[in-house]
Amino acid sequence: MKLGFYPRLAADGIRKNRRMYLPYILTCVGMVMMFYIILYLAVSPSLDAVKGADTLREIFALGSWVIAVFSAIFLFYTNSFLMRRRKKEFGLYNILGMGKGNIARILLWETVWTAILSIGFGLFAGIALSKLAELGLVNVMRGEVTFDLTVSHVSIVRTAEVFGVIFVLLLLNSIRQVRFASAVSLLRSENAGEKPPRGNLLLGAAGLLLLAAAYTLAVSIKNPLAALLWFFVAVLMVIIGTYLVIIAGSVLFCRLLQRKKSYYYQASHFVSVSSMVYRMKRNGAGLASICVLATMVLVMISSTTCLYFGEEASVSQRYPRELSLTATFTDERDSSADPVKPLREAIESIAESRGAELSDVCDYRYLNVSGAFLPDGEVETDADRLDSFSASTLGNVTAFCFIPLADYNAMTGENRALEDGQALIYAYRTSFDGDTLTFKRGLSLRIAGTADNFPGSGSAAMDVVPTVFLVVPDLYDAMEQLVEGMSEETEQYLVMRWLFQFDTGLNAEGQQALCKELRAKLREGGEQLIHFEGVTVGAIECRELERDEIFGLFGSLFYLGVILSIVFILAAVLIIYYKQISEGYEDQARFDIMRKVGMTKREIRKSINSQLLTVFFLPLLLAALHICFAFPIIEKLLRLFGLNNVSLFALTTALSAAVFALFYAAVYRLTSNAYYNIVSGAREAG
Amino acid sequence: MSILEVKNLRKVYSSRLGGNRVEALRDVSFTVERGEYVAIMGESGSGKTTLLNILAALDKPTGGTVLLDGKDLKEVREAAVASFRRDNLGFVFQDFNLLDTFTLEDNIYLPLVLAGKRYEEMRGRLTPIAARLEISDLLKKYPYEVSGGQKQRAAVARAMITDPKLLLADEPTGALDSRASDELLRLFAEINARGQTIVMVTHSVKAASSAGRVLFIKDGEVFHQLYRGNDTDELLYQKISDTLTLIATGGRRQ
Repeated sequence: MKLGFYPRLAADGIRKNRRMYLPYILTCVGMVMMFYIILYLAVSPSLDAVKGADTLREIFALGSWVIAVFSAIFLFYTNSFLMRRRKKEFGLYNILGMGKGNIARILLWETVWTAILSIGFGLFAGIALSKLAELGLVNVMRGEVTFDLTVSHVSIVRTAEVFGVIFVLLLLNSIRQVRFASAVSLLRSENAGEKPPRGNLLLGAAGLLLLAAAYTLAVSIKNPLAALLWFFVAVLMVIIGTYLVIIAGSVLFCRLLQRKKSYYYQASHFVSVSSMVYRMKRNGAGLASICVLATMVLVMISSTTCLYFGEEASVSQRYPRELSLTATFTDERDSSADPVKPLREAIESIAESRGAELSDVCDYRYLNVSGAFLPDGEVETDADRLDSFSASTLGNVTAFCFIPLADYNAMTGENRALEDGQALIYAYRTSFDGDTLTFKRGLSLRIAGTADNFPGSGSAAMDVVPTVFLVVPDLYDAMEQLVEGMSEETEQYLVMRWLFQFDTGLNAEGQQALCKELRAKLREGGEQLIHFEGVTVGAIECRELERDEIFGLFGSLFYLGVILSIVFILAAVLIIYYKQISEGYEDQARFDIMRKVGMTKREIRKSINSQLLTVFFLPLLLAALHICFAFPIIEKLLRLFGLNNVSLFALTTALSAAVFALFYAAVYRLTSNAYYNIVSGAREAG
Repeated sequence: MSILEVKNLRKVYSSRLGGNRVEALRDVSFTVERGEYVAIMGESGSGKTTLLNILAALDKPTGGTVLLDGKDLKEVREAAVASFRRDNLGFVFQDFNLLDTFTLEDNIYLPLVLAGKRYEEMRGRLTPIAARLEISDLLKKYPYEVSGGQKQRAAVARAMITDPKLLLADEPTGALDSRASDELLRLFAEINARGQTIVMVTHSVKAASSAGRVLFIKDGEVFHQLYRGNDTDELLYQKISDTLTLIATGGRRQ
C-alpha cells in the first residue's frame, strides 16, 4: 500500500493540474523529439550518400547541443510557473502533517512520471518522425531517397541521458524551493503581497541607450569583417537592451500615462493602463524573452533560406568559370622567361582531348598583398606595425591584387597604355577616390583610370575583406618596390601567381572528369605528374565538384535553421500560453470586482482586448524593429558566404516576418480564448 | 414613499442537470423607506447572500418582484444592468473588493470613471467624502499598504461617491477587528443620519444593533422583525440576542 501511495498521489496531482501540466509535458515531448531527430540525423547512415555529409554532421552535432542547452534553460523557466501554482497544494499537505521529506517524495514521483511521459513519447514521436525529417533533409540536400526506417540506439541513449540530467536538475530545484519555505508561506505564495512597481528611470534609459547604440552599430558598419566581429556584440546589446526596455521602460511609460490625468481617467484607459503596469513588471521578462526568441527565429529563417535559395548565385560568384587553376611561380625574379606557356598548352591539350571547347578564358598573372589603409590614406603592408586588433584597422584591411597590363589587355581585348608609376584601378566591394595610391616605404601609384572590364575573381568574392585590383605596367617592378616596405617575414608571403580559368562546354560529369584528370597530371602528388620548369600548380577547382561542399553547408544550415526555429517557436508559444493562463487566474477576482462595481461585460471585454493586444504585439513590433536594424549587418555577413543578393534577402526576411506574424496571430487567438474562459468562468460562479 | 419594495421573492437553484433543487428564498416580502437603515440577519445558509445578490441585480429571482425607487429590476435590460447598478447602488463587501492594481483614490474613482466623469468633478466629489471618512491622507496608498479598517473606509467611499439611492453592505464588519468594526458602524450611523438609505446583511448582533430596523430571515422567509423605536444600541442588542436565541431554540413558524 505504502509503496503505491506516493506515485498515485503524484499522478493525481498531475491529472488535476492538467491545464498547467499538459502544455509542459507537450513541450518536453517536443524538445526530446527535436533533440533525438537532430542526433539521429547526425549519425544516420542513409545520409552517407548525400553531398557534403561531413559538414552536415558537424553542424548537426553542434545544433543538438544548442537544443540541449536551450531546453534546460527553458524547462527551468516553465517549471517555475508550475511550482508557483503547486506550492499552495504542498503547503496544505505540509499543514496536514506531511513532512518536507514526504513532499520531496511526491515531487520525485511527479518528476519521474513527467520524465517517463516526456522521454517516452518524445522518443516515440522522434523515431516516428525521424524518417520524415530525413526525407526532408535528403530533399533539401537533393540527395537520393531511401525508404528504410532505422532506429539509432546511440541517439536514444544519448537523448535519455541528456534529458534525464535535465529532469534531475529540475527536481533538485523544486525540492530546494519547498525545503526553504514555511507551510504558511507556501500556502500564500500565489498571492504574495505585491508592491506597486516603480519605473526605474536609470534602467529604462540604459536599455534605450543600449538599443540605440546597437542599432547605430548595425547600420553604420560597412565592412563584412567588422560586421562579423561586431555582430555578436550588437546581438548581446540588443538582448540586454530589450530586457531593460520592456521591464523597466514600459513601467515607466505607463507611469507617465497615469500622470496625465485627462488620459488616464477614461473608462477605456483606466483599467488597462493600471493593470499593464503590474503586468509588465511581473511578465516583462517573459515578454522580452518572446521578443528575443521571435527575433532569433526571424534572423535564422531569413538568413538560412536566403543562403539556401541563393546558393546558385553564391557558387557562381565563388567559381565564376567551370574550371579554375592557379599556379605559383617558383623563380619570380626571372622576368625574361615565360614559364606559364608550356603549362597552358598542356592544360589546353588535355581539355581538348576530352572534347572541351575553352571559352570565357581568364588568364593572368597576379600578385597578392594585404594591407590596411592608415588614417593618412597610405597603405601599411607590414603586419607588425599594425595594431591588428583595433576596430579601425580591421575595418580598413584590404587585399591588393596586382596584374600586369599586358595580361589585362590580352584578356579584355582592350588596348590601354600606362607609363611607369601609373596604374588602372578596379575596386571590388570598396571604393578608392584618391589620385595616388601609396604603400608605406615603397610603391606609389598614380591612378590613370579604371579597369572596368576586369572580370573579378572567385577568391576575391570569397574573401572577407574587400579587394583593390591594380593593373600595373610591369609586375616585377611593382614587386621589387613593394618588397622595400616589408619586413622579411611579410616578404615570404609575396608570391607571384598565375590564374587560368575557363568554361568547357562539357556536361557536369565531363567537367568533373576533366578536373580529376588535370589534378592527376598537373598537381604535386598526382599519379601521372608532368613537371614544368619554374612553376608549381596549386589548386585545381571545378565548380561542379565544389558545389557539393557549399551545398552541404548551406543545406544543413537551412535545415538546422528550420528545426531550431520550430524549437524556439514552441518555446515562445508556451511562454505566451503560461502567461495567459496565470494572468487569467490572477484576473478572475479582479474582473469579478469590477463587474460588481458596475463594469459592463462589454467594457470588460474591451479592456481585456486592449490589454491583450498591447501585451501580445509589443514583442512582435519590437522584434520587427530589431530585424529592420539587423538587416544591414546580416546582409554584410551573408557576403562572407559569397552571397551578394540584397533583394533576395529582403524578400526572405519579409516573407519570414509575414509567416511568423500570421502564426503568432493564430496563437494569440487560441490562448486569448483560454484566457476568456478562465476569466468568465469566475463570472458564472460568482 | 418606499425606496425598495420586495414582493414574494422566490429563488430556486437547480443543479446543472436539473436534478437537485434547492430553495434559497421561498417567499420574501419587505419594504425599505427612504432614509432607513435596515439590517438583515440570519444564519449561514438562510438565504441572506442570495437576497443581497438579487437586490444588487447580480442575480435574477425565480419569482416575485423587486422595485427600486418604483422601477422593476426585471425591466432593466441585460446590457443596462451594469450601468443601472453603477448609477443607483453602492456596495460595501466583507472582503473590501479593492483592486490591488489601483491606489485607494483610483479605487474610489472607478465607478465614476466608468460613468465617464471628468477628473475635476471626481476630485470635487471625493474631497468631502474622504474628509468625512478620515482617509484624506491615505488616498495615494495602495490597498496592501493600509489596515483592514482603512480599506473598508475606502470601500465605503467608493460606494458613496456615486451618491447611490441605496447602499448595500454584505457583512461589512466580517473581516475587521472590534475597534475597526465599531468605527465603521459609527460611520454607517452617521451616513444614515445624513439621509443615506442603507441595507446591511450581517450575522453580527453588534452590527445589526446599530441599524434602525432588523429583519430576521430563516429558511428562505422573513421570520421576524424588530424596530429600534427609541431603544439605545444596548437595548436593541439585547432584543436581537433574545430573538436569535428564540430562533435557535425552536421558535417555529406560528
